[in-house]
Amino acid sequence: MMTLIWTGLASGAVYALVAIGYNIVYISSQTFNFAQAQLLMVGAFIGYSGLVTFHLPVAVVALMALAAVLVLAGLEERTAVRWVTQPDVQLVTTLGAATLLEGASQLIWGNQPLTVPFSGGSGVVSLLGGRLYPVQLALVIAAILLVVVLTYLSRHLKLGLALLGMAEDREAAILRGVNARRLALGAFAFSGALAGLLGLLVAPYTFAFATLGSSLALYGFVVLAIGGFGSMPGTLAGGLVVGLVETLVTRYLGSQYADLFVFAALILILFVRPAGLFVRARERVV
Amino acid sequence: MKMWRSLRAAPSWVWPALVAIVILALPYLNLSYSATRQIELSCILALLVSGLNLSFGYAGQLALGQAAMYAAGAYTAGIMSVHGQTDLLLQLAVSGVVALLVGLLTGIPGLRLNSWSLAMTSFFLVLLVPDLLQIFSGPTGGSNGLSGLGAVTLFGQPLSSNGYYLAIVITTVAWFVFMRNIVTSRHGIAFQVLKQSDVLASSVGISPYRMKLVAYALGGIPAGLAGALFANLDQYISPGSFDFTLATTILAGSILGGSASIYGAAIGAAIMQIGPNESTAFQQYALVFYGAFLIVGGVLLNGGIARLGRNLIHRLDRAAAAGAGAAHPREPGAGPPQEVPQLSGATLAVRGVSKNFGGNQALSDVSLSAAPGQVTALIGPNGSGKTTLLNMVCGFYRTDSGEISLGEDRLNHLAPHRIALAGVARTFQTPNLPTGITVAEAVSSGRYAQARASMWSAVFRTPKYRRVRRADAAQAAQVLELVGLSDVRDTEATALPLGRRRLLELAKALIANPRVLLLDEIASGLDEDEVDRIAVLLRRFRDAGATVVLVEHNFRLVLEVADHIAVLAHGQVIAEGPPALIEQDPRVLSEYLGVTEASSQLTIAGEVAAITAERGEDR
Repeated sequence: MMTLIWTGLASGAVYALVAIGYNIVYISSQTFNFAQAQLLMVGAFIGYSGLVTFHLPVAVVALMALAAVLVLAGLEERTAVRWVTQPDVQLVTTLGAATLLEGASQLIWGNQPLTVPFSGGSGVVSLLGGRLYPVQLALVIAAILLVVVLTYLSRHLKLGLALLGMAEDREAAILRGVNARRLALGAFAFSGALAGLLGLLVAPYTFAFATLGSSLALYGFVVLAIGGFGSMPGTLAGGLVVGLVETLVTRYLGSQYADLFVFAALILILFVRPAGLFVRARERVV
Repeated sequence: MKMWRSLRAAPSWVWPALVAIVILALPYLNLSYSATRQIELSCILALLVSGLNLSFGYAGQLALGQAAMYAAGAYTAGIMSVHGQTDLLLQLAVSGVVALLVGLLTGIPGLRLNSWSLAMTSFFLVLLVPDLLQIFSGPTGGSNGLSGLGAVTLFGQPLSSNGYYLAIVITTVAWFVFMRNIVTSRHGIAFQVLKQSDVLASSVGISPYRMKLVAYALGGIPAGLAGALFANLDQYISPGSFDFTLATTILAGSILGGSASIYGAAIGAAIMQIGPNESTAFQQYALVFYGAFLIVGGVLLNGGIARLGRNLIHRLDRAAAAGAGAAHPREPGAGPPQEVPQLSGATLAVRGVSKNFGGNQALSDVSLSAAPGQVTALIGPNGSGKTTLLNMVCGFYRTDSGEISLGEDRLNHLAPHRIALAGVARTFQTPNLPTGITVAEAVSSGRYAQARASMWSAVFRTPKYRRVRRADAAQAAQVLELVGLSDVRDTEATALPLGRRRLLELAKALIANPRVLLLDEIASGLDEDEVDRIAVLLRRFRDAGATVVLVEHNFRLVLEVADHIAVLAHGQVIAEGPPALIEQDPRVLSEYLGVTEASSQLTIAGEVAAITAERGEDR
């Protein structure tokens, strides 16, 4: 049973990591970046090429993935986001970026799932009465650590405060001298760098394959909806719920039911608490 | 140019109808099998794109679920067919209803959060299709697909391949007529208002949530029809036909043709079908292509092919008008001032209302009332809580405590659109109007929810619909005459200068026959003549029995028209009374002019006069 819970936690951590990426961009530019999970997927593929095809050291591959996805995310902001002001059209263009990344990955890396090794070992360990792989533990730790660090930084750095200010009242923040465009680009680049790095960490657990992005995107969104848009601690709670639902349903009912139940969880949360667990419903402003 | 004018003299539906007739006649011209098939598939894709246009182009909600609704329609028809129900009409009806239900079931939760949640919920729905088919693999055939569909029949007669071609085209044409009748009706205007802003929509009594749901769910109907048509085309369906690539194809077709258009869907779909979908070599690059297209199209193709077409028509119209020496624009109404109809105002009462925004006490224990036949002005320095109070009356903020009522009706805790329906009409400080609608249309949108005519009545253009439509036009003409905008009734609303837009706002508020008229800084940014004009109008409304609440910075206007003034400062009412009393109130003076009681004999009116004089010298 505990083994099952560990699996759930690890999956949940993966989805939470995607949701964290959504949040970074959402908080700083009120944009929902559809392509976040696809960026992470590209990180995973680069991990495969670097580690398996070219046998490069982990540190080099990590740097490569970080740099490459950072550039991709920056390009995405420059082409698909910056020129578009209406949110509904932004949704279309970032979906376009996601589709483009997915199609390109398919062309480059093919349709077969690729195994990416984890440098922290592959032997099974026992912890708290359950058995798990080191990579699963690493995922859970990474998610928690990221949330703690990002929450701390956002409250203690001037940059973080500027971001929170932007999320609160974009116009007021701009009037106070916050450079909104640079922040938006910075947020995309940062979330991209993070996605590249995390792709390397996620791939050993999920494998690298071309539709990884789509499923991660949806599960990540469910995590976000449960935790609440813009809430960092919410991603952990959402990840926990989604990961456990998926794992338990797969184990006891069969894998074809997993999506259905996660979808049901999304519908339920939208009915009961549309703003999510960790965000108070905000009043509309004219 | 002469030819162009005679072409334009025909009603606008004639040209699409002609195209439809040509397409219907094509099989009798010995068209090759592959060409007919392309047209059939284009029709099916056009139905899908058209459904998306209703939701995305008109209601502003991106939805990717068309592919899932399409699957629902296809499998419904397929399963019916396997069980011997091969009648096409029956299949179309059931598939349409099933797809509509899928739309309702996912739209109800999907629209509750924000515009992303519908996109993601509907995207998720597409991902669920193969899983659901696997779970119900008994009736659906699972991943192997569903085969063994019977030959399609109509009224008990088997359909030939030409017959089936006609059936597909006629169904498509029927949907486009349906769509056109909704979009060109008052509902179409309402969709555009909604797309512009939720706040704007609720201010005229439209429930944004319901309206978006209607658009999204109705968009399911053509998807269901398309599914049924597709299932019978090859008599075989499999999960692979309803995947994410299809969802992006539909979206790309919509953007290419123009999302906010009726016939753009057909053009976009035809190009997508005959262009990229044609080559098998393309399949490999499909995602890369669609992805790049969505980025480029989203950034550059604002309005799609439909918009290019409209621009061209406009240009030709103008050229033709210039060639003919042009019809003279009507002169602004110089006749005797139009009689203001009797207005039935009610008392707006605010009792003990408080509001706290995270520690900032915006309003504390505010009470005031506005009576019919009076202009009540609400004044106060910036940040004193005027707009907050206005937004609470309109229902955009909830009251922490206290009560707001209009006549006998309690307003607080009602949703904004319900408050509008209860008789609260407001103007906005920054006039916010959708592009592409005329002044007369913008004004009639003010009575969209007051005088109802269902979508069905619009689709079938029933007598009731025609009656409401005539009343819309008559009343719009009346209020436009009243505020002096008759000469611009057919110009685009957003093209008006600020002063006239404010008058338009006033006309739009008036047409709803409101019980209270809330005017949010209606004079700001206007020149003196325009302010005078508004002052005259306000007095006439008051004399006709309206309850007018004026939130205003322009002191001259306030002193000129107000019967009663309430002064807000720091979230509290610090003074209340007739203008003569207020302008000498010491607390008001100290708030506004920074003078203490002892220091001077200044009055606000004196100060205003001085400022006005100064401005006069500057000119």
